[in-house]
Amino acid sequence: MKKRFNPIKDKSSEIINFLMASPDMPSDEALRFKLQLSIEEAVENVVRYAYDGGIGWLEAGTNLDHDSLLLTIELRDAGIPFNPLEQPEPDITAKAEDRDIGGLGIYLCKKLMDTISYRYEDGNNILTMTKKIENS
Amino acid sequence: MEVIINKQLEKTLVEVKGRIDTTNAEQFQHDLMPLMEGGPKDIDIDCSGLEYTSSQGLRTFLMLQKSVNAKGGQMVLRHMNPMVKEVFDITGFSNIITIL
Repeated sequence: MKKRFNPIKDKSSEIINFLMASPDMPSDEALRFKLQLSIEEAVENVVRYAYDGGIGWLEAGTNLDHDSLLLTIELRDAGIPFNPLEQPEPDITAKAEDRDIGGLGIYLCKKLMDTISYRYEDGNNILTMTKKIENS
Repeated sequence: MEVIINKQLEKTLVEVKGRIDTTNAEQFQHDLMPLMEGGPKDIDIDCSGLEYTSSQGLRTFLMLQKSVNAKGGQMVLRHMNPMVKEVFDITGFSNIITIL
């Protein structure tokens, strides 16, 4: 299922809740925690940074392949072309004083999901994240 | 999300409950500001009621840790649930924040 949200300014929680309520989502609590956190970080990236002033749309969708139990979450927007996967990764071994606060969100997505990929197509940023959900 | 601050002579006891997410991360930062401004330099945070935190919540914990370090104090986070602990582990925050 998918839905286009327009405009998206201040709509992060509505978009996150829409995705989390999808029938494709697992019921396992620990898995939902990881999915919600990944979704929140990815959606926030678009809502905060994709459009000047947050005026624009975001299409959010889920798909579950019932044979492989592979869950796919896709976010699409027509904002400023931006590949979040090219952001430098945070130095997770740095001392508190040296820790930079940037890049944490997308780093969490990379760690919590099985795969994450980005492409720019027909003027759209498309972020795709997948997670195998065997235990739910 | 709820933050309860109990300043004592020796240290400040804090309870963090609920979810820190996009709807209230700014409020969470605001709620912790008094800890960064003054009071005892040691902080003890009970996280048993903390159900979820996004990276925005992590950033606030990092700000607080930096403020405690600058004062030469100690901060501990206690009773964190395993799912929240994993977020601190993955991001390396467990290395810079004491979690008991």
